[in-house]
Amino acid sequence: MSDSTKIGRTLLHTRRRMSDESFITLLVASVAVGLFLFASILVPNFFQLQNMLNLVTNNWAVISLGVGVTFLLVSGNFDLSVGGIVALSGVLAVWFSQSAGGGSALSTGLGFPYWLAVIGALGGALAIGALNALFVVRFRIPSIIVTLGTMMLARGFAQVITQGSQRNTNLPDVFGMLGNLTVFGASVKLPVVLMVILLVIAVFIEKKTVFGRLTYWIGANAVAARLSGIDKDRHVTYLYLFSSAIAGIVGILLASEFKSGYSNRGTLMEFDALVIALLGGVAIAGGFGSVVGMFFGALILAVVTSAATGLVLSPDWQYILKAIAVFVAILTQTWALARRNR
Amino acid sequence: MTDQSQSPVLSVEALTKDYPGVRAVDDVSFSIESSTVHCLVGENGAGKSTLIKMLTGALQPTSGRMKVRGSAYEPGNPHDAREGGIATLFQELHVVDELTVLENLTLGMERSRFGFLVKSDLDDRVVQTLAAIEPSIDPSARVSSLSVAQKQIIEIARAASSGASVIIMDEPTAALSEREVARLFGVIRRLRETDVTVVYISHKLDEIFELGDAVTVLRDGKHIVTKPLSDVAGRSELIEMMIGRNVFQDYTPRTAVTNEAVLIARGLTNKLLKDVSFEINRGEIVGFYGLVGAGKTEIARALFGADKVSGSILFKGQKVGNSPKEAIAAGIALVPEERRTQGLFTSLTIRENIPVMNLKRLSNRGVFRSSVELEAADEYVGKLNIATSSIDKYAEKLSGGNQQKIVLAKCLFADADLLLLDEPTRGVDVGAKAEIYDIIRSMADEGNSVAVFSSELEEVLGICDRIFLLFDGSLETEVINGPDVDAAHILNVVTGGRGGAVQ
Repeated sequence: MSDSTKIGRTLLHTRRRMSDESFITLLVASVAVGLFLFASILVPNFFQLQNMLNLVTNNWAVISLGVGVTFLLVSGNFDLSVGGIVALSGVLAVWFSQSAGGGSALSTGLGFPYWLAVIGALGGALAIGALNALFVVRFRIPSIIVTLGTMMLARGFAQVITQGSQRNTNLPDVFGMLGNLTVFGASVKLPVVLMVILLVIAVFIEKKTVFGRLTYWIGANAVAARLSGIDKDRHVTYLYLFSSAIAGIVGILLASEFKSGYSNRGTLMEFDALVIALLGGVAIAGGFGSVVGMFFGALILAVVTSAATGLVLSPDWQYILKAIAVFVAILTQTWALARRNR
Repeated sequence: MTDQSQSPVLSVEALTKDYPGVRAVDDVSFSIESSTVHCLVGENGAGKSTLIKMLTGALQPTSGRMKVRGSAYEPGNPHDAREGGIATLFQELHVVDELTVLENLTLGMERSRFGFLVKSDLDDRVVQTLAAIEPSIDPSARVSSLSVAQKQIIEIARAASSGASVIIMDEPTAALSEREVARLFGVIRRLRETDVTVVYISHKLDEIFELGDAVTVLRDGKHIVTKPLSDVAGRSELIEMMIGRNVFQDYTPRTAVTNEAVLIARGLTNKLLKDVSFEINRGEIVGFYGLVGAGKTEIARALFGADKVSGSILFKGQKVGNSPKEAIAAGIALVPEERRTQGLFTSLTIRENIPVMNLKRLSNRGVFRSSVELEAADEYVGKLNIATSSIDKYAEKLSGGNQQKIVLAKCLFADADLLLLDEPTRGVDVGAKAEIYDIIRSMADEGNSVAVFSSELEEVLGICDRIFLLFDGSLETEVINGPDVDAAHILNVVTGGRGGAVQ
């Protein structure tokens, strides 16, 4: 009956079985690989190492946001504010860095040193995260409503600061460094490396720490979690701060890459982050899903959209293709899980 | 009251219902006269609810017959029952808060022409029915503005106006205040005058004497007696018929009990609880026994800090009662009343469920010790005899008894010194029940304390050393368990006979 006797004593009831979560992650990964191979047959020059890398590196921002969104979804909460935070923190970083006394309003900033501007921008991002936590945790308002509100609030602030336009003049040279720094011999940008580090840390937290397990318990049954002594309010607060910090850094890096603060940056990114999490098997009701699954979900979306633009289809078709990918993926997962647990 | 010549409106003959391993209703025959209030009494597990479910078509009898006005009655589902003229008022209300009283009353009976609603005499009829049984309710009022009791009356009116000749009421006063009860009784009496028969189920014996015309007593699935209440001598006779000779199991006085109080509760008071004070000793199994709504769950949750109450709770000299987290840290664990919604993580595996209440033991500077989790799961699956093929099985796939054992395992893993068990064997099969009792006893024998909150007399008499009797939010008295414990006295107290002797 037992096959794991490695941990000191014989375990009698431990016939291990692959968890549904590993099963779904494996399924999502195989779909991503399968789609890639399929696209390689259809699209000339698709099957190249550089192309594979591009699928990941072009999507570093959404994948990074997906980490925070995934943790929150697993805990049973939405975060639709990440796109707005990307815009806000980018605009703030620019505004704080622009030297005081420029020619026009849009070229005049606060003249902070860059490090202070970054901290200030992060502070703005965390403020939105704290607002999310406040309304969700303290006032018990459904997270989808709260973060829909803060999504507009964050973007609204960005819009006011940029007066509906862009801020891109009067910036110190150091501003453009972080986002354009390359490592490993000019082939990989720093943000991509940061994304990889973030993924590794997130997987560690999710699988190996008590913090990660708390997230699943809260998402699986919040009432039982409270009656088991878990401080759900504090945990969800941490998750919102964590997610908004990631979004803040993404915004700062994007602003640096383009050397501009633009209030429409990151538009619809919150939905892309949600979509890749769902594609990756994260349950919208909470308690189920993984960061690795979300990563492969992002690959599915990337393959579908990039293959489409490589095909005869015009880029206008990409939303339709995304929609088809979402429906097919979710149906497959539901069907496969039901079959497995029959 | 009606004369004897009238045929019974409802009768059952040799009705039997078998579940795997148990005969819930055993060869029951009796009949109910028309235009009476017929009370159905019996302890928990006596077979009342199974009988009612067969009458309302929710369950099919294994054998036996039911008759309505002399002709065969075989409801396949609750809808058939309503067609047959039998309506049921359940404890959970089925009214739509957003609609008006009148709209609720005519729901599902609207007349329409070309898809448009048309006014019909239906409205007038319904308004008349409502006015007859409770004139104080305005038909155009929104239901959300009504009290629980008034909503109940709406349901009764709906049943009456749909032509039901029998209305079954399952503990209708459980959630009502005294004044509301009086109002409901008025409604029931007026119903009786309009030739409606009421089958009234309640644990509160005073209500039965006040309201009933006849009573049927069930015990252990068997029919004990049906007779007019005027022939019943009083509470004591009814209680005797309900409990029979011998309800206690095999309680033997335990040696581990000490006089050292580990928990001292003083003056617990909230909306329901009235100045409840008690002590729990080390090594002791105490019972909190009372009817549904007597305050058992409220006390359990207050001790655990899940709900705030006024008063003070000292556990081993330390103040508790602010949060479950604090209670667990102090050494108190709770098995909640609703295991699926409050105790278990049904979408997680057995392995992932067990360690949740003891994060300290699970954590190595924040890193999760999966070996501890694995060993704990393996240990408790073995110790508590949880029937499963693997510790990686999802909790929702297990039977009620095994699910309850997982909730117990959670608490055992928490190393609690005081275990609060709220209805620990509800919905649990007989075999698992006995095993859970063994677990409780061995917990206490090891020097821990256990509090069992139960509405089953047999349960508290079977395992508890000391029993606190609750009625309507107050702790009436306590009883030391033993071979000559007076079960009639206990039932008298919890059904509202106060602390005095049986009348």
